[in-house]
Amino acid sequence: MEIDPLPNGSGSAAATPAETAATTTAPSPASNTTTASKLSQLTESLKLEHQFLRVPFEHYRKTIRANQRTVEKEVSAVISSVTDVADSNELSKADAVLNLTSLVCRLQGLKRKLEEGSRTENLQAQRCRARLDHLESMDAENLSEWNNVRLKRILVDYMLRMSYYDTAVKLAESSNIQDLVDIDVFQEAKKVIDALRNQEVGPALAWCIDNKSRLKKSKSKFEFHLRLQEFIELVRAENHMRAILYARKHLAPWGATYMKELQRVTATLAFRSNTECAKYKVLFEPKQWDFLVDQFKQEFCRLHGMTLEPLLNIYLQAGLSALKTPYCYQDDCTKEDPLSQESFQKLALPLPYSKQHHSKLVCYITKELMDTENPPQVLPNGYVYSTKALKEMAEKNNGKITCPRTGLVCNYSDLVKAYIS
Amino acid sequence: MELNTIKDAFDRVAKRQKLSCKSQEVVEQVGHEIEQALAKIETTNDPLSPGDLKSILTELKLKLNTSGPLHQLEGLQKENNTNLSKYPKLLDKAFNPDISKAYRNVDFDFHIVNQIIASHFYRQGLFDLGDCLINEAGEPEDIVIRSHFLEMYQILEALKVKNLEPALKWITANREKLMQTGSSLELKLHRLQFMEIVQKGSKADALKYARTYLAPFASLHMNEFLKLVVCIVWVGKLDSCPHAELMAPTRWEDFTEELTQQFCSLVGQSCHSPLSVAIAAGIEALPTLLKLANVMAAKKQEWLAMKHLPVPLELGKEFQFHSIFVCPVSRDQGSEENPPMLMPCLHVLCKQSIMKLSKSSSRSFKCPYCPSEASAGQCRQLHF
Repeated sequence: MEIDPLPNGSGSAAATPAETAATTTAPSPASNTTTASKLSQLTESLKLEHQFLRVPFEHYRKTIRANQRTVEKEVSAVISSVTDVADSNELSKADAVLNLTSLVCRLQGLKRKLEEGSRTENLQAQRCRARLDHLESMDAENLSEWNNVRLKRILVDYMLRMSYYDTAVKLAESSNIQDLVDIDVFQEAKKVIDALRNQEVGPALAWCIDNKSRLKKSKSKFEFHLRLQEFIELVRAENHMRAILYARKHLAPWGATYMKELQRVTATLAFRSNTECAKYKVLFEPKQWDFLVDQFKQEFCRLHGMTLEPLLNIYLQAGLSALKTPYCYQDDCTKEDPLSQESFQKLALPLPYSKQHHSKLVCYITKELMDTENPPQVLPNGYVYSTKALKEMAEKNNGKITCPRTGLVCNYSDLVKAYIS
Repeated sequence: MELNTIKDAFDRVAKRQKLSCKSQEVVEQVGHEIEQALAKIETTNDPLSPGDLKSILTELKLKLNTSGPLHQLEGLQKENNTNLSKYPKLLDKAFNPDISKAYRNVDFDFHIVNQIIASHFYRQGLFDLGDCLINEAGEPEDIVIRSHFLEMYQILEALKVKNLEPALKWITANREKLMQTGSSLELKLHRLQFMEIVQKGSKADALKYARTYLAPFASLHMNEFLKLVVCIVWVGKLDSCPHAELMAPTRWEDFTEELTQQFCSLVGQSCHSPLSVAIAAGIEALPTLLKLANVMAAKKQEWLAMKHLPVPLELGKEFQFHSIFVCPVSRDQGSEENPPMLMPCLHVLCKQSIMKLSKSSSRSFKCPYCPSEASAGQCRQLHF
């Protein structure tokens, strides 16, 4: 906050023309800079929307790739069977006709698949566009509505990640923002998570195979951990022969990279599930499955270009750090401050306090900012209120001021303006 | 922000719609060739020599391999893949690719977060959603907050159809508490009702209403009362009434807003959703925090351990809830031990700065902001 410096007692007459000139010219650049800073703030906030565009695109890209792969696979399969037919020496006419007809059928099936695939592609491309349009639609006029939608998007994101699907769907439908949230992306995750919660690894493994190359690129250990868990379950069931066979087939290939973990888990063959040895006991605990769920969520988010934390947590944390002051934890904190509430205070506990380089003074009475237009005035007892509040009080009470915090009564003329920079 | 370039880039990717048509064409072409070969085999007169069959099939094989449908597909995909990988790179460049960079990995108790969200829904009047979340997340229900807001929304819904009954009931039930806060809601409510009657045009009804409901306010709000009663004179020609402000088109909205505010403050709630406020603050603060995290990337440990943010986050006025005094000399924030002090020249510094400047309470020193001199003893503590 910048408040004009105290004019020199003698220079006040000389200063007037300069002052009036300043007041006539000052407002326009000032308001220009505020709108400019508001604009740059909006741009900055748009730049936070990476996930909003990235996720539907990743989904789109995945569909495109899958469609490409089917075409390539099918066409090359058809061509190679034509080659087989042509190259075989003992083939009756009937056989040849049969073979070729079946190939034609196969191609027709492929065509249908392609048409369906390109319909999905179209829908997903539309969604990507809808999001670009939504970002573009933000301007100064619809800002509050836009911000409202953004909060809803953030909430849907939170609920999807926390697996509160019903609430997520309800919120998206009731606000008509289905295109702006990633419910269908999470449907895929839901299947895997539900299965893991039921202690089944099948869908998770299938998901790993689907995304093999990308998981490999990020050096993911998820599949390895799934395999370890399956092995543990075999040991728990005392199915030792099968466990050993399983380890040979599915664990051994990871030996080169994760030998330590592999050794620890295979050692359970000796310890069994009722072991008291802490190091191995923990491997049999049901919470291992929860770890797998968490790990899956992480891999899933990474693969789809999402932040690993829910957006809500990220924004909430930033907001709470920015709002946190020592005053929030005092009893007389205003209700309008989110941090006056116990729940927000608890969340903010591990966060840093905000920092100010300049004084920011809020009038105790009107809760408005005290600045050059509404400067702070000091009562004889050292209590400070805004000019606006004090003037209003004086007008109502014949020039008398009553301090709302101490009860002191004084005249409006007793007040002095404080210069705070 | 160059959203246009991003849109163009996306259009380039989406052109692949055409490419997928082309790959369909390739598939059709392969099918066509095979069908032709089939037709040839079937139309050739019956005892087809093995040699002929062989030659037809070889021809087909050659055709499929030379026309190179696979090559065509590969070419299409290559073109596609470059566009597909370009777009995310563009997004990474134009946007903040990872907004969780500034995130401190502290455990947010999700039970608390769920409760906050449920209260937020109740406050927005979305009771279904709040209940749904509570059920799905298995959280205990906050009955008090829910019933408060349920009551509030019943009043607001009624107001929407200009039914003041529930509002009046609530105001009467809380009359004393409202009086303490200096609220004039009751008068405003009767004013609304009265003006509705006046607009309907029955002088007798208006007079009767004024007698029963407005008269009790006459002693405390004489001016307002007179203004209202005077309106009776203009019944039927309200356009020329000098108190046109009483018929402002927004009067119902204004009343609704005031009632919402007073309702919230009476039940100990803020009038804006604390969740909305905190998130909005987060959106303003995050860009600066991310820049900070980038700068401090090398000293990540320090960043996570900090008790105070090293830079100010400039938030809008609406997020300013407390008076914070920062000494212009030492840049320290005012506190109980180090309060702001008013010097005789009306400049304000913190106590420690004044002590440093004066060195002893009797010695006078020059104000850092003007030529006047002061001693520490002359300075007074301020309370904001």
